[in-house]
Amino acid sequence: MSSRSVQYTSSPLLASKTPIWRSQFIVAVIAAGFLGLVARAAYVQVIDNAFFKRQGTVRFVRTLDLPANRGRILDRNGNILASSVPVPSIWANPEDIERDPVKLKALAKLLGLSPAELDKKLQDEDKTFVWLKRQVDESVAKEIAALKIKGVYDRKEYKRIYPEGESVAHVVGFTNVENLGQEGVELTFNQALGGKAGSRRVIKDRLGRVVEDIGEMVPPVDGQDLQLSIDSKVQYFAYEKIKEAVLSNKAAAGSVVVLDVKTGEILALTNYPSYSPGKRGNLSGAQLRNRALTDTFEPGSTMKPIVVGLALEKGLVTPESTIQIGNGKFKVGTATITDEHAHGLLTINQVIQKSSNIGASKLALQMEPHDMWEVFTQVGLGQKPHVPFPGAVSGKVRAYKTWRPIEQATMSYGYGLSASLFQLAQAYTVFAHDGEVVPVSLLKTNQAVTGARVFSSKNAAAMRNMLHLVTIQGGTAPKAQTMGYAVGGKTGTAHKVEGKGYASKKYRGFFVGIAPIDNPRIVVAVMVDEPTNGAYFGGDVAAPVFSQTVQQTLRMMGVQPDMAVKPQVVTQVEKESF
Amino acid sequence: MSRVSFLLMIAVMASALYLVRTQYESRSLTTDIDRATSEARRLEIENDRLDVERRAQATPLRVEKLAREQLHMRTITPAITQYATVQGAASAEVRP
Repeated sequence: MSSRSVQYTSSPLLASKTPIWRSQFIVAVIAAGFLGLVARAAYVQVIDNAFFKRQGTVRFVRTLDLPANRGRILDRNGNILASSVPVPSIWANPEDIERDPVKLKALAKLLGLSPAELDKKLQDEDKTFVWLKRQVDESVAKEIAALKIKGVYDRKEYKRIYPEGESVAHVVGFTNVENLGQEGVELTFNQALGGKAGSRRVIKDRLGRVVEDIGEMVPPVDGQDLQLSIDSKVQYFAYEKIKEAVLSNKAAAGSVVVLDVKTGEILALTNYPSYSPGKRGNLSGAQLRNRALTDTFEPGSTMKPIVVGLALEKGLVTPESTIQIGNGKFKVGTATITDEHAHGLLTINQVIQKSSNIGASKLALQMEPHDMWEVFTQVGLGQKPHVPFPGAVSGKVRAYKTWRPIEQATMSYGYGLSASLFQLAQAYTVFAHDGEVVPVSLLKTNQAVTGARVFSSKNAAAMRNMLHLVTIQGGTAPKAQTMGYAVGGKTGTAHKVEGKGYASKKYRGFFVGIAPIDNPRIVVAVMVDEPTNGAYFGGDVAAPVFSQTVQQTLRMMGVQPDMAVKPQVVTQVEKESF
Repeated sequence: MSRVSFLLMIAVMASALYLVRTQYESRSLTTDIDRATSEARRLEIENDRLDVERRAQATPLRVEKLAREQLHMRTITPAITQYATVQGAASAEVRP
């Protein structure tokens, strides 16, 4: 037995000669194995550590998006005007969709697509994601799921719901399928409403459960709720009434604006024709237009009180001063200004009450163009109203230096300048708020405001008295009377401008008024565009809408009737000049 | 010396096992909290949805329609006013 061998047993029978190198070889192999492991460990943990870490992360770390809720839009009483709810959207993976003609046909039917359209969507087999239809009804999604087509899935998306529908459509606007505002306050306040999505990084286990948070979570910032000054009841009522008026007068369109005089809040702003913000197939531009803010027209006779107010302010006249109207014709340069009636001698009160063009012109011609221009500007004409709406227009008041006398005269009864209905409503707050133009707000403030003073309190009261005269016997708008409340206002009727001149048979009738006239709470402006059913004077088409809107609005605001109630008497209508 | 090492090794093993257990518990708690959070969110969304639905049932349009058609109500106006005098004697209803 040499020393170079290992003896494994004491029994000589079992003794075998094993060379020592064998055991050494085994030890070496095992050692090499361990060395390999150590080298591998060093490679994994030290040398190429970053790569392996990244690979691990890819396999179990997930970044979850935390979507932010879009804020709701509320009316002044907290009623929902717009809110987001999750709805299913259907998508497919064209790469591995099961192309079973029967099932696909059923799917197309459920999606409201033709089989050809569906085929086209699924054509590109390189894609792994294609929307089939976004924002479908819950029931449709369930039926689609019941078809059990491989490669067709749904996922939750947020959809905007507008419970009030048409009446408030122009104010609220709408969002697109990506939840971005497209119109109205949805567009203006898109950023505040939208909020900011957050995210968190987590480790998920093999069952897809979150088992650990990694790092800082970025919490989502939900969009802010937006509370408008709109009162949905007033809005609805105004919408119903203007809709009725437009339909019964066979008119093209109409608008109503209701302003709270004390706070400057917009209680209602509505237009007809309108649309349902939830269902927007086949929308026309006519439906989408927020006419009260985007359409300008010549304000006609509604300008007269502003000119007369200025005349009082400048001390040119008093409400009882008289002015000679003569035979209803008045020459300025080569042009002739006419009145419907030869009124003879009128007091200033009557100039407003009977809506005399000549009276207003004669007053205007005694004034400096600059003074008139200044008052027009102060009450907001030719200025973009400070309301958060896309597309609000400023109207047009030309620079006073370019005014010729005849233009100065026509402007006094509202021709040669233009304004939107909303601007007129705001301008009339000057009478309602004791001579101050009230800054308007679309967001709920509920705070009394002070405006910029234009007329003295005394003259504003005198003007309110004149506006009241318009609505009683001998005025142009007895139809503006409303039961229980004394009101005041001014009618306007304007030929529509078409091309370069006036369309002969196309009119716009409007009425801007204040109620209750002694202690004003609201200004209501009504416009009916192109009435074609016979009547077209503002006192006939717009004043009744004013009357009904005032009645309901004041009742809802809890304003006590200030007149003894008597059955409503409509007196003889005085024909107005325009 | 070797006894101390052995004790330390036992301690390390125990601590390691404890760590594994804590990690496991922490993970299952995280899962629970995550599930609870998503349930809370689901309920919140459901609440929002129901709010909207409730509002849709109570829009002025629907209220007025139901009041008119089913309950045969009409809009009030000051024309229907009862004057109550202090004596409580004369009261009259005026209709348009």
